[in-house]
Amino acid sequence: MIAPLRALTRPQGGIAGLWLILVIVAAVFAPLLTPYAYDIQNLPNAYQPASGAHWLGTDEFGRDLLTRLIYGARTSLSVSATAISISVLCGMVLGAAAAWFGGWLDRIVTMTVDLTWSFPEILIALILVAIIGPGTTGVMIAIAVAYLAQFTRLTRAQIMTLKGETFIEAARSLGAGNAHILFRHLLPNALAPVLVSAMLATGDAIILEATLGFFGLGAQPPVPSWGGMMSAGSALIFKAPWVIVFPGLAVAITVVAINLYGDALIAELDIRARLRRDA
Amino acid sequence: MTLSFRKSFLAASVSLAALFSAQTLAAQEAVFVIGTAEVGAPTYNPIKATMLNTATALIFDRMVSQAADLSYHPWLAESWEEAADGMSWTFKLKEGVTFHNGEPFNADTVKAWIELFKTTEGENAYMAEAIASVEVVDASTVKFVMSRPEPNLLYNLSSTFMSVVEPKSFAALGDNYGVTEVYGTGPYKLESFAVGQETVLVRNEDYKWGPAVAANAGPAKVERLTFREIPEDSTAFLELKTGGVDFLLSVPADLMGEVQKEANLAVLTMAGQDVWYMPINVTKAPFDDIRVREAAAKAINQEEILASVFGGVGAVADTFLISALPESKVADSAKIKFDPARANALLDEAGWAMGDGGVRMKDGQPLKVTLWTQSDSIFRRLTEVVQAQLKAVGIEAEITTFDSSMIRDQYKTGEQQLAVRSYNWDNADIVDWFFGGDRLGYPNVSMYNDPKAEELRTAAMTGAKNMDERVANFTAYHEYVLTQFPMAPIYQPVQAFAYNTDRLSLPATINAPSFGTAAFMDLEVKE
Repeated sequence: MIAPLRALTRPQGGIAGLWLILVIVAAVFAPLLTPYAYDIQNLPNAYQPASGAHWLGTDEFGRDLLTRLIYGARTSLSVSATAISISVLCGMVLGAAAAWFGGWLDRIVTMTVDLTWSFPEILIALILVAIIGPGTTGVMIAIAVAYLAQFTRLTRAQIMTLKGETFIEAARSLGAGNAHILFRHLLPNALAPVLVSAMLATGDAIILEATLGFFGLGAQPPVPSWGGMMSAGSALIFKAPWVIVFPGLAVAITVVAINLYGDALIAELDIRARLRRDA
Repeated sequence: MTLSFRKSFLAASVSLAALFSAQTLAAQEAVFVIGTAEVGAPTYNPIKATMLNTATALIFDRMVSQAADLSYHPWLAESWEEAADGMSWTFKLKEGVTFHNGEPFNADTVKAWIELFKTTEGENAYMAEAIASVEVVDASTVKFVMSRPEPNLLYNLSSTFMSVVEPKSFAALGDNYGVTEVYGTGPYKLESFAVGQETVLVRNEDYKWGPAVAANAGPAKVERLTFREIPEDSTAFLELKTGGVDFLLSVPADLMGEVQKEANLAVLTMAGQDVWYMPINVTKAPFDDIRVREAAAKAINQEEILASVFGGVGAVADTFLISALPESKVADSAKIKFDPARANALLDEAGWAMGDGGVRMKDGQPLKVTLWTQSDSIFRRLTEVVQAQLKAVGIEAEITTFDSSMIRDQYKTGEQQLAVRSYNWDNADIVDWFFGGDRLGYPNVSMYNDPKAEELRTAAMTGAKNMDERVANFTAYHEYVLTQFPMAPIYQPVQAFAYNTDRLSLPATINAPSFGTAAFMDLEVKE
């Protein structure tokens, strides 16, 4: 797994990677880095523009915007990353099973996946959140389901092409069982493209999480999320534009960084051709 | 080359001409944005609706109009007289009035209309409940025979819920009345209505029976009115700023400064009719304990909210009624005011001891409750302040946000614990509406059903023989309800409107309690 590090040496990958590391470190060590609490209101101090005491200013409740942005990174990154992990895990299991066993299982999985594939992710996520109810858990499940189709299809396509290779035939003729072939030979070979695609999907998931947060369906106040902060800021756009601008920038830069780093990673792994063929 | 140049020149001059003609056409119309609290009104059927928007007041007329000082003046009724014992009212009706579908307005239509309140299913029957029967004296005189004295009759007759509907089409159209078609006698006719989006009204050219409180008796001066529904205040303001609309029927306090910054925009304010409050569901633990309810109510710092959320515009609320109403003058001890020491003491007494992280605990359970709000940004902002104020006395409130048009249905489940909401009404009978034991869920969000309150409620609603008695009975009812803490009052705004001064010219004085029919009759579009 040296490729992720090598990707950092590429110019784009390096800058993007540094930003991502910065955001992740900030998110993990949020309580140590921030001088203020994210939820304690200080109403007389509301709507302060950027200053020495508040580097990015304060929001409508007098809370430090930088503090909330850093805690917001926690929410956004953890929700998106967890959702995509669930999605990848379930997607790989489903996709591998469908490709390896074929028959009715394959047909049912492909049909269901194609059905969800035909709707935009945001629509699936919105419907699911409406059923589960607002909050981070609901959003996590919604995003996981919304992206499930992508990983199932990708894994299935990978396994389908690998299935006919001679090394699989060799393993089988040596008496290897289904589980051994799947976990020892097929999935490791299918892993790299799925992981890169998961990385890129995390960028989309951050946007989706921010969108749901904007609609008030994500993390409920006072827990900050980038989307929720932008939503609150949209009503203050004339009075305190920084409240919407900074979380917006955070989302934009992070998503661009993920994509740039993802591109660098693809180049390092030299799997672009395989991704294009299968996805 | 030359040809194409001439062609495009021609096209340009044609489109310029179109632009000019569009502008002269636009001069005869105006675009209004419905107040955010009225967004999503599903029908213009006044007898069935629980919410009506401002356009209702233009489609229909009422028997009586109300002036800014809350006195009553003629409209469809030219004059009236109450019997000495309050058991009958005689109304002399205006002659020559017709409905939009050509039907005449006379004593028979008034009789048929009043009877609709008894035969139509809905929440508004109470408005005409005291009228036992209607006698047609002659074509333009009716006599209401009362089952009991009703000092509030003139108020009810001046309310949009007692807008005079055309009884024949009402019966014929059923549920479609007020949605696909609607016929009143008002200064405007309904052209189109898309629920939650837009209502278009065109002038009723025959109209000449405007309310006495308006300078212009009719027809109205503007030919065509469009009422758009924009649920978000800042979006509506942006539309006003960029010229997409001409008038906003609600402007929150925090946007008033932004409006005043613009050279061609102005703010109009009128005395407020709204109260913002926090209903407390008395049936849901821990709020089935009155001490916890009182603690939650007294944890709300109204002064801080007024200053920080509403920029000091308006007033704090310490009762359930707007302070202009005499029934709001309850005993000082019944008023609900910020008192954190009392709130903390009550919670201690109720067994909720302060635990780690500033949240109170009892029997190993944290004092955690839900706090519902609607999706408009001002509600969300206020709710976050309320959440922080509750946290200050050790109550952890978890916010759940619902779409503004869906939240009434959510209340009907009765699952709410705390909520932040507002109402708009200028009569004491709103206490009956929101705390009556037969309306649990919605409107009675607090699920409040108390035998003593019901007794006082009956006396207030039906027991008064004259206005003084009614005021006394309602004050007693209101005062008792306050001492049971089914809600915490928060804030009374002023009514604020914003408009484009280049496009509209408003009458110098609006002699009405709100921006309704009288204001629209005198409104002009600048050429």
